Amino acid sequence: MYKSILLAADGSENSIRAAEETLNFINEETEVTILNVIDPTDSKNDVLHSGPSESIMHKRKEKLSKIINLYETNNISYTIQYEHGVPNETVVAFANKGHYQLVVLGNRGLNSLQEMVMGSVSHKVAKRSEIPVMIVK
Amino acid sequence: MLEKFKKEWLTAPGTNILAGVVVALALIPEAIAFSIIAGVDPMVGLYASFLIAVIISFVGGRPAMISAATGAIALLIVPLVNDYGVDYLLAATILMGVIQLVFGLLKVGKLMKFIPNSVMIGFVNALAIMIFMSQIEHIFGISIDSYVYVIATLFIVYVFPKFIKKVPAPLIALVVLTGVYIIFGSNVGTVGDLGTIERSLPSFFIPDVPFTMETLMIILPYSLSMAVVGLVESLLTARIVDNATDTYSSKNKESRGQGIANFITGFFGGMGGCAMIGQSIINVRSGATTRLSTFTAGVFLMFLIIVLGDWVVQIPMPILAGIMVMVAIGTFDWNSFKYIAKAPRTDSFVMLITVTIVLFTHNLAIGVIVGVIFSALFFATKISKVDVHLEEMKNTITLSFEGQIFFASIDTTLEQIDFKKYEKPVQLDFSKAHLWDDSAVDAIDTIVRKFEEKGNIVHIRELNTDSRKIVKELSQLNEQHLT
Repeated sequence: MYKSILLAADGSENSIRAAEETLNFINEETEVTILNVIDPTDSKNDVLHSGPSESIMHKRKEKLSKIINLYETNNISYTIQYEHGVPNETVVAFANKGHYQLVVLGNRGLNSLQEMVMGSVSHKVAKRSEIPVMIVK
Repeated sequence: MLEKFKKEWLTAPGTNILAGVVVALALIPEAIAFSIIAGVDPMVGLYASFLIAVIISFVGGRPAMISAATGAIALLIVPLVNDYGVDYLLAATILMGVIQLVFGLLKVGKLMKFIPNSVMIGFVNALAIMIFMSQIEHIFGISIDSYVYVIATLFIVYVFPKFIKKVPAPLIALVVLTGVYIIFGSNVGTVGDLGTIERSLPSFFIPDVPFTMETLMIILPYSLSMAVVGLVESLLTARIVDNATDTYSSKNKESRGQGIANFITGFFGGMGGCAMIGQSIINVRSGATTRLSTFTAGVFLMFLIIVLGDWVVQIPMPILAGIMVMVAIGTFDWNSFKYIAKAPRTDSFVMLITVTIVLFTHNLAIGVIVGVIFSALFFATKISKVDVHLEEMKNTITLSFEGQIFFASIDTTLEQIDFKKYEKPVQLDFSKAHLWDDSAVDAIDTIVRKFEEKGNIVHIRELNTDSRKIVKELSQLNEQHLT
């Protein structure tokens, strides 16, 4: 069993699937760190479409609520980390500087053309991470 | 003090200098394009971007935010430059700075919270549409070559960032396509057709305008608009950077800083400016957190112009037009369509009226003010609904009031009451109401008096503490009415 893993999650369906997958190889003794990267590009939208900063914080937490529920019901101990930056770079930097045994992330399921245009976070993390990477399809 | 200086200037200097360099590269095409929108020499925008960025890095309230010459201000000053020339623009910029400094000292930053999201969304959308419209003359009906350059520019700015992350794509477009133009030539206008580039640092001079009341009356309306628009965009950008970095910044310090920056810039031949949303996001995304990146952006921009000035005049106009189209698309709030469908109807209306007013007046300041007035009116209408229920109890007739009682809601309150002789004593129940002002107290006096004129006995019940306090201070009623 893993002692400590990093789950990069944005609250999307894929990240929820990734969280579900982790249940297959973690138990009560595993410490899960849920990493949510906030891209500065989203900040304009955050400010224009929501109220004061407390409600923005609340919204961020709500996005992860399904994953939090999943871990709570399975008695997994977890912490949530919010980091600001470009998603793939931030995940890599965070994974490499911590003491994690594994980084888990979901795959957006793009086809190769979309991947070329939009760039794949999971691909870049897989390439540059110094710890084992699990990409959940 | 020293701690703060170290944190705001010396944290991760390498990352911040690099981010500043990236921003400088992205600023150059915009500064030139905004100058052309305003109808002034490119140097007026380039000097402004250099000076404002450097000055604001010292006096601004929001580390890592980028301020420079902006489209919002450029669009405002077109008629002033057209009718009176660039010296009046510089004078207007100096006065703009003074007004912003005064606003900052009066702590107007706090008033920003009275600008609702609907007005802010209208502001960015109107700005985007105006920037786009300003480019139409540089894109359409010039030559086939022009279209080719615009399309090539758009291709580069949207596709290249997927592969080349370190260099801003607009600069790649600028360098590559200007190279193509210099080598092959083409039937397009260039920056050189619209102005000259001086390869020197800005120097101090007093704008050549007569110091008369007449001059003041010419520039004052512009300065006011520039000051308001500059602060709205700057404080919105500050909130965005606050959000992107999870830190808080002083909005009043930022207002004062904007004022100081524009005041000085006007004396050195630069046009007014403010914070830039797009550039600030580029900066933060590049890892900037300190004032050093803003400082670097300004200095490096000036350095590049001094070194490469002779090339700048060769830049084909359609490249800048393409970059401006990208800026317009990036500025527009694309969630607005969803917003119109989902937000309360009054909010959608305020957003649309803000955009419409700006497009008719070509003045973002008027749009913001009208938007705020409309949303205030809608708000007042919404909360000025008071319900009065009449209920016959065992020993009394109870009139219960529900809502906010103030000057705007008094008429609707009084209309709902039937003043006649009741068989039982009348009780006025305010447990679900709040009295806000002396008009509300007057209204209560009136209600009591009118009931008493018909021969009723009247008691007032359950005023909340605040309401009871103003009734005690202002009302002519005596204690026996209040139970």
